[in-house]
Parts: sequence; C-alpha cells; structure tokens
Amino acid sequence: MDERFDLLTTIEYGGCSSKLPAGLLSEVLKDLPLSVDPNLLVDVNTHDDAGVYRINRETALIFTTDFFPPICSDPFEFGEIAASNALSDVYAMGGIPLMALNLMMFSHNRIPMEVFGEILRGGNSKVREAGAIIVGGHTIDDHPPKYGLAVIGTVHPDKLITNAGAAPGDRLILTKSIGTGAMVSGQKNGLANNEDYRRALDQMKMLNRTGAETAVKFGISAMTDITGFGLAGHALKMAEASHVSFRIRTESIPLLPGAYQVFEKGSIPGATFKNQEFTGDRAHFTRGVDYNLKMLVHDAQTSGGLFMSVHPDLADQLVRELKADDPQNRATIIGEVLSESPRRLYFE
Amino acid sequence: MKTVDTQGLKCPQPLIMLKEALQGISIGEKVSIITDSDTSLKNLTTFLRDQGAEAEITTAGSVHTIVTTRNDSNMTNAEPQLYCEIDRSGNDYVVCIKSDLMGEGDPDLGKVLMESFVNNLKLQEHLPTQVMLYNAGVKLAMKQSPVCSSLTELEELGTRIVLCGTCIDHYGLQYDIGVGMISNMVVITETLAATGHVIYP
Repeated sequence: MDERFDLLTTIEYGGCSSKLPAGLLSEVLKDLPLSVDPNLLVDVNTHDDAGVYRINRETALIFTTDFFPPICSDPFEFGEIAASNALSDVYAMGGIPLMALNLMMFSHNRIPMEVFGEILRGGNSKVREAGAIIVGGHTIDDHPPKYGLAVIGTVHPDKLITNAGAAPGDRLILTKSIGTGAMVSGQKNGLANNEDYRRALDQMKMLNRTGAETAVKFGISAMTDITGFGLAGHALKMAEASHVSFRIRTESIPLLPGAYQVFEKGSIPGATFKNQEFTGDRAHFTRGVDYNLKMLVHDAQTSGGLFMSVHPDLADQLVRELKADDPQNRATIIGEVLSESPRRLYFE
Repeated sequence: MKTVDTQGLKCPQPLIMLKEALQGISIGEKVSIITDSDTSLKNLTTFLRDQGAEAEITTAGSVHTIVTTRNDSNMTNAEPQLYCEIDRSGNDYVVCIKSDLMGEGDPDLGKVLMESFVNNLKLQEHLPTQVMLYNAGVKLAMKQSPVCSSLTELEELGTRIVLCGTCIDHYGLQYDIGVGMISNMVVITETLAATGHVIYP
C-alpha cells in the first residue's frame, strides 16, 4: 500500500457501540430452548465466556467466537486485537487455544484488498503466538468491515474454571487496566494523547495467555475476562453465577493512563451508559465514589484483562507470580467476595 | 442563558460540549443543550441525574432541549449534595450496633429506643461512614425489621452497612436479609481498629 488505509474512516463517527445492550439480549435468550446434554459442562446459563463440551475423561472442548468493527486505524493491529479478544474467552475458562476460523465481513468495492490481507495477517500472528492454528474461515461482503474468529480450545474437565466458583472470603484480581473504551473514544474525539492511546492499543493486543496459565497453576475458584459489558457487568455475571456478592474498591482498579481524563472531559461512550443501565440497582456505589470512576467500571473493554477469584491465602503470591511471568501484567487485588447480600456488587 | 447546539452530532460529543459549557459558567447559572439524538438525550439526562442536577426537557418533533443549572464547583462527583461529607476529614465515624436493643433494662423499651436511634441516624448532618451490625444487631437489617427502610436509606446515601455473616448464620436469618453487605470478623475488626471514632448505641 502506498498510503496506509485508515480503518477508522469506515465506521460512523463516534458510533456508540457495536454490542447489543445486555438487558435486551437476556430478554430474547431467556425464551430460547436450552440444549441439554450430560457432556455440556458449561452452557449459557451462567453467562460464561464459552460453551464447554466434554469429549472424554481427559479432554473438554471450549468453543467460542467474537467479532467487531474496526477499533483502530491500522489493519494489522485491528487483526491482532480482534484475535487476542477472541482467544481470550478460551483463556478465561482455563483452557488452551487449539484452532481458529476467521470470520470476516469486508467490502472489496470500498476498501483495498491489501487491507483484508493485513487484517488476516494480524489475526494470524496472534493465533500463532497463542500456539494455535487458523484452519480457514468465511467472508461476506459487507460494510463497514467486521473481523473476528471462532476459536476451539481444550481443557481438562476437572481443571475448567468457570464464573461459578467464587467463594466468600476470596480476593478479586484484575490483570489488565480498565479504560480501553475510554481511550478509543478519547482518540476519536481528539482528547487522548498519542502515547496514552498507543498504550491502550498495546494492552488490547496482549494475550491473556500467561495470566491464564498462572491462574490454572494456582487452582483459582472462578475466572472470566472483562470485555463489552465492562468490569461491573462481568463482575455481576460472575457474582450471580457464584451466588455471592462482591466488594470492589474503585481506587484500587488499575486504569490506563489518560482514561480518567478522557471521561472527565465528557467523552463517555454510549456503551458505558448502556452498561450502567444493565447493572442498575444490582451494583451499589458508596458515597464518595468518584463519578468518573463509577463510569469507568462500566466502560466497555476490548480484549480486557482476566478477572479472578482466589483463596485469600494465595492472593498475594498469585499477584506476584502473574507479574513475574509477564512484566506487562497489571495484576491487582481490587476487592473481595462477600456472602450473597441484597446487592450483587458494592463499589467503594 | 448559554445554549449549546449539538444537533447532528453523535454521542459522546454532546456530553463533551455540555461538560465544557458547565465548566464555563458559575454555580447557579443555567445552560440549555439541544440534541436530535434520542441516545444522547438519554445519556445526558443520566449524566445530569448522577450529578444530582435538574434536567428540564422539552421536545419539539425530534429535537430535545435540556435546561440544567450548574450546581457544584467542578461537576465531577456523583452526589454533590453530599459534597460536604467528602472532605470532612477527621469527622468520620462508625456506628457499631451489637444488639437489637438499646441500653439495659426493659427489653420492650430497648427495642423502641434502638428503632428510634436508627431512624434518627439517617437525619444526621454528618452521616456515619459505616454501620456495623453484629450479634443480635443483625436482626435490624432483616426485611421484616421496622428499621430496614431506614438502613436502606442510609445505604442509598452512601453509608456502608456491614453485617456479621457468622451472626446471620447463627440466628438462621440467611433468607431474610433486607439490606447491607455480609462480611466477616476480619473486616469488622480491621474497620474498628482503623476508625478513631466509634459509636456504640
């Protein structure tokens, strides 16, 4: 390419969110008949990250997919981020990615084909980094483009980590900073500096691989990854699945540099408001929780971090090892698990 | 009155412009913001509500006008009416309720006194940062308790209501809890040790 094609020119300026509101989605899904199979270890019931099917005593398959429109200008980087994001669901279940299929919506009439190739190359590089392989894919002519993957991973059925195991007294650990939605919005609206924006892109490209491997080694109680429903939304799903409540200290939450400032200037994406509406009364905010922090816990994350519940005796050591295994890991204890209380989430 | 016209602009531009406008006017001054996006109308209203600010909406066709008044110094905190509480360092206190009765003597009187205490607590100018309930004190946080609504109001105002989990189990009240977060003795001990001012009614 002579001149680099800017993928962000393909999407509507300031488009709020590509994800359907969580509340609307649950409304529709609740009427669908559930598949029943003794080998289905995880289904949509616990709002987990993927479906898990036991094929024998040693192996269960983790099956997941995710795709979305461009969130950055560079096609290669978009491919990397979309792939990291799709692979993350396998990691969040404690599994290892095995193979993937590309899902692409792309209009060759409107975007140079080189861009198509770059996106695929970016995705491929991350799938390889994960130790998995791409075995094909499917493309449909559509504009603006969307890219993602369907991923299959494996896990030992006894080592599976779901949303449902958080126990009172456990500590809650988050492994990446919050604020990717804020930084993407800030960049679009000219309110984020370049260095901070780059930092957000780099974090989105980061695989949750070492984080998941370390977590598995520690035998943690529950895990999920933080994506479109934000920290509050995903924490809520985990607390519900585990029949517990969470207490989270907002000031302990690691934030991407610049994210707070972007929200302070009012560049709060529509998805944040949708997420806030979804958690509603189930999330309680103690007096004095800063407004921007309250909104950042609802900020939709792309390829966000792992969120783990771990026995209190192991928490400090787990944080140390997460950071030792991967210097980019921002592992931080941000709260603890309470017995099931009138509210699901208490933000302080 | 300053008017901010955001017609044709998509989220989050209208909110960015509203915050700019609010920062440019004095407390008590009004600003009006015009939007033709239903999503932006909803988000702007949610934002203003979270700031404790009024939002007067008039709609003509698909164009909405919101009039609001700047109500605090920087529009960053969620509950401006509680501003005075945030910086009152040194005035923090915790209320520790160890029984559903107040004082020793006639239990009927003790019950009336305790109800009156909790109902009055929410009316204080300086609210407690936390109310901890243990032993028979947890009974006050049950759905059928006459002060459950007062404790709920306190929680709404941002006071942390902490219940002793062991106590709830001991009295077999797991299914009757109406308000508060269930915690444990570690948290209760840490809080009491870290707080200078504890009130035992």
